[in-house]
Amino acid sequence: MQDFFELVVGAAASGAIYGLIGLAYLLIIRPTGIINFAVGEWAMLGAFGGFVLLTNYEWPYPLGMAAVLGFMFLVGWATERLVVRRLVERGAPLLAPILALLGMLVVFRESISVSFPPDPHPVPYAFGMGRLEFGPVGGTYQSFFIIAVAAAVFVGAWLFFERTVAGKAFEAVALNRRAAALMGIDLTRVMTLSFGAGAVVAGLGGLLIAPNISAHYLMGVPLAIQGFTALVIGGVGRIAGPLVGGLLLALAEQLTVRYAPLPAGYSQGVPLIFLMIFLLVRPTGLLKAKA
Amino acid sequence: MRFIALLAAALVAGAVQAQETIKIGVITDRVGVSKPYSEPATEGMVFGANEINKKGGVLGRKIELLIEDDQSKPDVSAALARKLIDQGAVFIMSVSLSPATQQQQTVTMEAKTPQMTPMNSADYLTTQVDNPYFWQTGPLGSTQIATLLAHAKSKNLKRVALITDNSELGQAINKAFKAGLDKSGIQIVDEEVVPLGATSATPQMQKIRGANPEAMFVAGVVTTTNVLIFKAYRELGLKFPIHASYNLSVPIYMTAAKGLVNGITFVDAYDPDKPEVKAFVAAYKKETGKDPANLHGYGYDGIHLVAEAIKKAGSTDKEKLRVAMQSITYSGVMGAKGMKYQFRDGKRTGFDPNGMVVRVYEGDRQGRVIHSGLGQP
Repeated sequence: MQDFFELVVGAAASGAIYGLIGLAYLLIIRPTGIINFAVGEWAMLGAFGGFVLLTNYEWPYPLGMAAVLGFMFLVGWATERLVVRRLVERGAPLLAPILALLGMLVVFRESISVSFPPDPHPVPYAFGMGRLEFGPVGGTYQSFFIIAVAAAVFVGAWLFFERTVAGKAFEAVALNRRAAALMGIDLTRVMTLSFGAGAVVAGLGGLLIAPNISAHYLMGVPLAIQGFTALVIGGVGRIAGPLVGGLLLALAEQLTVRYAPLPAGYSQGVPLIFLMIFLLVRPTGLLKAKA
Repeated sequence: MRFIALLAAALVAGAVQAQETIKIGVITDRVGVSKPYSEPATEGMVFGANEINKKGGVLGRKIELLIEDDQSKPDVSAALARKLIDQGAVFIMSVSLSPATQQQQTVTMEAKTPQMTPMNSADYLTTQVDNPYFWQTGPLGSTQIATLLAHAKSKNLKRVALITDNSELGQAINKAFKAGLDKSGIQIVDEEVVPLGATSATPQMQKIRGANPEAMFVAGVVTTTNVLIFKAYRELGLKFPIHASYNLSVPIYMTAAKGLVNGITFVDAYDPDKPEVKAFVAAYKKETGKDPANLHGYGYDGIHLVAEAIKKAGSTDKEKLRVAMQSITYSGVMGAKGMKYQFRDGKRTGFDPNGMVVRVYEGDRQGRVIHSGLGQP
């Protein structure tokens, strides 16, 4: 039983990361309709930011984290300004920015691969390596930290969309671009902010998971797939969608490895079967959008 | 007058000799998957060539390395082998990925040009193609496993766990580990796979903990997943010893797995206490200001061995070189104390099966040798 609780904490931390990456997709999809597969590379940039500031320059964690997130906002802003906006302004079809962003995925990855040695780079834990136990529930400091940060981000995002005028503006753009523009909502500003926020959230996911998986130039694509799966399972209709999807995905992954009577190596297929069932039975995701 | 004529002749000859370098082609990987291995090996080779040239070169001629990058792509690699031979390379050194080295053989066999890999470990390089112009002095994969198992045998293990990643090489090494363990009559109580891109290895390590093994073998070769395994091992407070694949001999673990590797034993081809190694480390540091890793030793040994063969052949004639290579005996930096490279009984693999060692991590450093060879007479 102790194994189970221990696993639930670890899986919740992994799921929270998938959820953050899923949220990064969502923040951009909702107002713009653009699926940005480069979010995985943004997570990688966040992890490398952590390596440079926290490992190399040994900045205090909160300062380093703030600097990385600030940098990520600039990355998201610049991506929108230099790559996406030109296409949208010229009335290119939706597929054009999606493909351009796939190109950016390669640009981000290759700029890291030529700037750093190919080995994995260590990134420190926020509170060092250690365990916290509450009765039968136990996990690493970092697991609890990840869960707490992700919870705060999702609550913050929910409050923003539900309780602020700016959030409502995002929502309005998501519902009907033309109508929103006619109501005086600045579409450009909404797009810039959505890319900036998407990059911050993705970078945060990369920075938080890097102590486990190390900063590495090939780390982006698996995270992008896991985050996308989380989003598909949870649905794009609600802010909590990717979090719910991420938690389910991570639990399915880790509980299968631990408990399913399958030969080693086969259990990694189970989450994919899970995903296929969801796409067949509930293609809009688990959480329904509000009417 | 006669003296001046002699002097002039000597000068002319000297000038001719200075122009005519011995060209050796090097196919390495500067951007692809084997870059972490290929780069240090190439650096070691460049250092070795400079050392030989400073002492006057070979047969009075300097060695010139023509270095090409194949990105570990076999098709690119074969084309590069052709290019190097066209440029006058008398020998091809292969320090990229094993499949790339294999593809180069199609060219070197046809062009009858000697080729050697001082580092590749795939067993198939000399068995699939019968190329009399190819030699391999990297320790074979089968030797690595046999050495690790010989050490395990000395520990009298009965029940062990086996863990790997889902990369192609990780699966291949896992298969070989399994075969070796089965043959030794050691029971595998649990077998786990950590997929690439996983964010946690805790469920796998929990399962292994549940199976209660006396030791765990790590057949994985991907550094990030191995680090994940060691993190889960520490996090769960596990105590059974870990015996790891050759991948743990790359220096990156000293920084990427800080605080995680103490006590882990791993198979290597490098003994830091060997006098040849100490001399090599000192010379390398003096020249470059950096500490060499074991991987540098492969390139260094490779170029020295080839220079020795050219000296022995007395010329750069490819056929004479082939004969000289086949009968050479050379002891270098790599291998257990006293190990000699030689190609016995017409074989073209030169690393002595008894020449590998098992080392242990002491803190974050790759430490002393605790076992050597196959433990058989």
